[in-house]
Amino acid sequence: MFADVRRITARIAEKFKRRFYGRTFNCPVCHFEIAVVDAGKNRLLVCPVCGVVIDIEEVYGHAVPVVLEVELFRPQPKARVHPLATHVPIGLYPFAVLGAALLLVASMARPFVPELEPMLTRAPVLADATLVLLVLSVGLSVLTFASGLWDWNRRYRRRSYRQIRLKIAFSILFLLLGGAAIALHASGAVFSGGSGLVDLGSPLSVALAAVEFALLVAGMVVIATLGHVGGTLVYGK
Amino acid sequence: MMDFSPSPEQTELVERGRAFTKEFIGPNSMKYDRSGEFPRDICREAFNQGFMNPHVPAEYGGSPHSVLDHCMVLEEMATGCSGIATAIDANGLSQYPVILAGTDDQKRRFLAPMTEQLMFSAYAVTEPEAGSDVSRVKTSATKIGNDYVLNGIKWWITNGSVASWYFVLARVDDRPTGFIVPADSPGIIRGPKEINLGQHASNTVRVTFEDVKVSEKDRLGDEGDGFQIAMKTFDHTRPGVAAGANGITKAALNIALSYAKRRRTFDKKLISNQGISFKLAEMMTRLDAARYLTYKAAWLFDQGRDNAREAAEAKWFAADVAMNAAIECSQVLGGYGFTTEMPAEKLIRDAKIYQIYEGATEIQKMIIVAKLMRMREVH
Repeated sequence: MFADVRRITARIAEKFKRRFYGRTFNCPVCHFEIAVVDAGKNRLLVCPVCGVVIDIEEVYGHAVPVVLEVELFRPQPKARVHPLATHVPIGLYPFAVLGAALLLVASMARPFVPELEPMLTRAPVLADATLVLLVLSVGLSVLTFASGLWDWNRRYRRRSYRQIRLKIAFSILFLLLGGAAIALHASGAVFSGGSGLVDLGSPLSVALAAVEFALLVAGMVVIATLGHVGGTLVYGK
Repeated sequence: MMDFSPSPEQTELVERGRAFTKEFIGPNSMKYDRSGEFPRDICREAFNQGFMNPHVPAEYGGSPHSVLDHCMVLEEMATGCSGIATAIDANGLSQYPVILAGTDDQKRRFLAPMTEQLMFSAYAVTEPEAGSDVSRVKTSATKIGNDYVLNGIKWWITNGSVASWYFVLARVDDRPTGFIVPADSPGIIRGPKEINLGQHASNTVRVTFEDVKVSEKDRLGDEGDGFQIAMKTFDHTRPGVAAGANGITKAALNIALSYAKRRRTFDKKLISNQGISFKLAEMMTRLDAARYLTYKAAWLFDQGRDNAREAAEAKWFAADVAMNAAIECSQVLGGYGFTTEMPAEKLIRDAKIYQIYEGATEIQKMIIVAKLMRMREVH
C-alpha cells in the first residue's frame, strides 16, 4: 500500500513539475535538473549549483548540453542567514499541524471516549501552544523569504531559474496559507478559548475547523516542497 | 528510371513523424530508459496520430502504409528512442502472420479491433533453447477434438505483458504450426519484465503456456505452415528493423555534430579537429549507405518481389553501422559520452540489440550466402 501511495504521489509531483518546469535536462556535472526554458534565446545558462556555463541545444528532443566555462567567483553570503532561517519554520510547522490535528481528534473522540476527559483539561494549553508554534514558523518564514531573495540577488545574480521562481511563488503562498490559519486559530472561532476544543454542536465551528486544518495541510505540502526544491539547489540531484 | 526523391506524401509523413518524435519521444527517452516503464501514454498518442498498426489492410479498418513509407517514419521515431519506437511498432511483427495467412474471420476478430482502440499484440516464437534457430522450438500443440492444447515457454517476447493476443509457433506432431492465442486464455502466465542492456522502454517478458486451449479456428494456415509463416514475416519486418537501427545512427550523428560544433578544445571548435570531423563524415556516409539498403529492401517488398537477401543485407549492415555510430558518438563527446546524463551511452546500449534480434548478424549473412549459392554470377 505504501508503495502505491509513493507511486501516486510521485506521479502527481512529476506532473506538477512538468507543468511548471517544462522540458528539463540534467547538468552533466552536478546532475541538477534544469529547465530548458531557463537558457533563454542565446541558449546559455549557468548551473545554479555547480556554476558551469552550459550551452544547451535540443536535437530530436534530446537535450545536448555542452560545458563551455566554469563560473569560479560565486559570492557566498558571509552570514548564511537563509540556510539557517529556512530550517526554523520547517522544523516548527509540523508540530503546529500536529497540535491542531490532536485537538481535532480529541474534539471528535470526546463524546465516545469518556476516559479522555481528565486529559482534555490541558486542551487550552495545547491550543495556545499550537498558535505560538504557528506564529513562530510563519513569522520567521518572512525572514527566510527575505534572506532567500537576498541570496538570489547576490549568489545567483537574479538569473531566472524555474526552481527559484517556484520558491518565490510557494513562499508567498505559504505566507498566505499560514496567515489565514493563524487568523482563524487566534479568533477562537475554531478552538474555543474555554475548552480549547471544537464545538461539535456548532456547524460553523466544525466548518471553520475543517478550513483551518485544510489550510495547515496545504501549508505542510507547500513548505515540504519548498524544502525539497531548496535542497536540490544546494546538493544538485 | 531511378528516382531517389521522396513523394510529397512521403515528405509530409516523415515530417509528421519527426514532429511527433521531437514532441513526445525524444524528450521522454531518458525517463523511460531509467524507469523501464512501458510508454503507454506515448503509444496512445502514436495511435491517435495514426502511427500504430500501419500494416493493417484498409478493409479491416487500417490506413496502411507501404513498407518503404513505414521505414521512413520508423527511422524518425527511433531517432528519438529506439525502445519507445519498438513499443510503438512491435504490433507489426505479430500482425503480419495474420495478414499473410489469416482467414477473413481471423482478420476481423484480431486485426480490426486494433484499429479501433489502443491494443497490443506479440510475436511469441523465440524459446530459451531456440533463438536464431527457430526450427528448434519445442512448444507443443496437441490436438484434442476441435481444440489444440499448448504447452511450452516463450522467451524474450516483446510487448509480452501488454499484449491482447499472441502469434505462437508450436509443434503439432513435430510440424511447426502458427496459432493466434488470446492473452486472457486460461493457462497463460506472463513473467516479469526482463532487465536488458538497452531498449528499457520496450516490454520484454517470458510467457508460459500451461495446457492452454486454442480453438482450431485460431490456427493460422494448415498444420506445418508455421515455420514458413514465421520466416516470411521477417522479409516484411527486417527492413523496419534496419530503419530502427538507422534511427540510432541518425541520433548518434546529430548528437555528435551538435556537440562538436559547440564544444571548444585547444582554442578552437571541436569539429575543427580533423580527427573528429572525419568521424562525422564517416558516420554520415555509413548512414546513407545503410538507408539505401533499407529502402531498396522495403521497395522490393512493396513491389511484391523477393527481398530476402536485400532485407538481410539491410538488417545486418544497418545494425553494425548503428553500433559503430553510437560508439563514435560517445568518443566525440569524450568523458561526457561516458556519463549517463548524456544520450550517447544510451545509444550504445540500445544499438546492440539490432545485431541480435529478428535474426542475429550471423543469420543474415547465412541468408545472403544461401542466395549467393544459387547464383551463377553476381550482376
